[in-house]
Amino acid sequence: MITFENIDVVYPNGYKGLSNVNLQINKGEFVAIVGLSGAGKSTLIRTVNGLVPFTSGTLRVGDEVVDPRSKAKLRRLRSRVGMIFQSFNLVTRVSVLNNVLVGRSAETPTWRSLLGWYRAEDKELAFQSLERVGIVDKAYMRASSLSGGQQQRVAIARVLAQDPEVILADEPVASLDPPTAHKVMRDLRRIQQELGITTIVNMHHLDLARSYADRIIGMRAGEVVFDGPVEEATDAVIEEVYQRSLTAEDIVAGDAVPGRAVPGRAVPAAKLQD
Amino acid sequence: MSTTADATTRGSATLEVTPRPEAPRPSGLVYLGLAGLAVLAFILFWATRDSGDILLIPLGFVTLWAPLYPVIGLAVMLLTLLVCYRARIGTMGGFGALAFITMSYWAGSTVNFTLLEIPSRWSNVEPRLRAFLDPNWSYIWTVRDQWLITISMAVVATLIGCAIGLVLAMLASPVSSPNKGVSQAIKAVNSVVRSIPDVGWALLFVAFIGGTAHGLGPMAGVLALLMFNIGIVAKLLSETIDSVNPGPVEAADAAGANLTQRNRLAILPQVLPGFVSYGLYVFELNIRASAALGIVGVGGIGSAMMLQLNRFAFENVAAILIALILVVLLVDMFSMYIRRKLL
Repeated sequence: MITFENIDVVYPNGYKGLSNVNLQINKGEFVAIVGLSGAGKSTLIRTVNGLVPFTSGTLRVGDEVVDPRSKAKLRRLRSRVGMIFQSFNLVTRVSVLNNVLVGRSAETPTWRSLLGWYRAEDKELAFQSLERVGIVDKAYMRASSLSGGQQQRVAIARVLAQDPEVILADEPVASLDPPTAHKVMRDLRRIQQELGITTIVNMHHLDLARSYADRIIGMRAGEVVFDGPVEEATDAVIEEVYQRSLTAEDIVAGDAVPGRAVPGRAVPAAKLQD
Repeated sequence: MSTTADATTRGSATLEVTPRPEAPRPSGLVYLGLAGLAVLAFILFWATRDSGDILLIPLGFVTLWAPLYPVIGLAVMLLTLLVCYRARIGTMGGFGALAFITMSYWAGSTVNFTLLEIPSRWSNVEPRLRAFLDPNWSYIWTVRDQWLITISMAVVATLIGCAIGLVLAMLASPVSSPNKGVSQAIKAVNSVVRSIPDVGWALLFVAFIGGTAHGLGPMAGVLALLMFNIGIVAKLLSETIDSVNPGPVEAADAAGANLTQRNRLAILPQVLPGFVSYGLYVFELNIRASAALGIVGVGGIGSAMMLQLNRFAFENVAAILIALILVVLLVDMFSMYIRRKLL
């Protein structure tokens, strides 16, 4: 469970990233955060693992209170909280397996990392993670030789290698084409359900958020302006969050998951019969 | 497609010819000011000239005179400004061209740089040039031991220098250093190391621990090259680290890696090609530098060359120089091959 109590983020240049955010995200929940760019979605996600330090309030991940000033505590927290990025953030010059093993860093002695001599059980965990995203055969290929969708799967495997309680995903499919975006989101959703990992995803595509999330949080100008189950996030509500009417750019289209469609959204019915 | 009308008609679609925008004309007033600067520079050159050559301008009723070289300088400056103005080069560009001419004139005249002296010294140059053009090939093989020392010195200095340089670069770049203070301190130390040239280091080490006379020449040479390499590798590599893709670094942070792990896993792979190519570059520099270092007594091929120079055996010096060119070329080709394989 993640709890935000009166969280404020003020950047060093005085820009207010978050103001008075109060949230409770339950264990095993899949939450999508929507909002226009600059609304504070990335800031919200990055406060959870301390990549952006909050300036006031109390933040708890599980039982632990997040303390952005203690580097050692942050490292311990980050070993339990995995993160997925829009641009995958892989080291493209090394193998897929070595990228996944970056996720074992917190559990690996520094000298082993320096030599690149990982324990057999860590490697096994990395292989299992790759198996879960279905690219175990690519383990010894260079990360740069993979397609965008495969690279994002490697990033997901890297997170899984951490054996995390929480997954944070910052626009995980924004640089992928619509069919690939759906495949990656389906993988993420499946893994989240299999392992019961609390997952927070930033999205700017409304239809993806509605298709895969349990709960939607709408943000505007650093504040939470909507919080509710997917069914309540109707077009009218989201237009209120965005302060403008919805356009074709707010949806990715492509193939959604059959059966998870909510009436009144932009996914064409024909596309649902996958 | 010969006329404008044809060019604008493709199939059924007709392109309307819009008026082409004119290149903006640079401010004439500023160019006038630049001409004024050129005149000021001319006055300065006149006041500080060394040469007494003058130019006489007969006007019939009176003959004007002017210092020869400053007048040529002024003419070049004004001509350049005119060309720049006609080519519609911006005022900053015009200023740059003017600065280039002024600075090179001023600096050249300060050190009396002129090629006019060389023909008058030809009797001195000619016999040496003749010796250089007729190298003593049989001499090359007799200094093989010195070559071995030179190459060994370069290898040792490169390997150790790159290893230390890597650590210093990691500490110096704000991207990979523990904090700003460490990064600033290491950068300051590094500037000091770099401000002393290789020959300076060699002189220091020869003075401290002894040179060839004590049988320690190569040792002093390796230490000198080492300091030289550390300075170069740390500087180039820390700048490469500054510009790595921050994404993987953030990902390693988010996975709970500590600083050492993050630098090893996310930064080192990204800078590795650069690191290897800097290593090959300093190896090449070391081979070349060791020729100069021999002059101050650190052993290697440089000391052999110095010996022959002192004996005025220019045909032997020429043989060494040609071998040096060959060795540097070989090292260069080898490093290009490695770099191509690596990237």
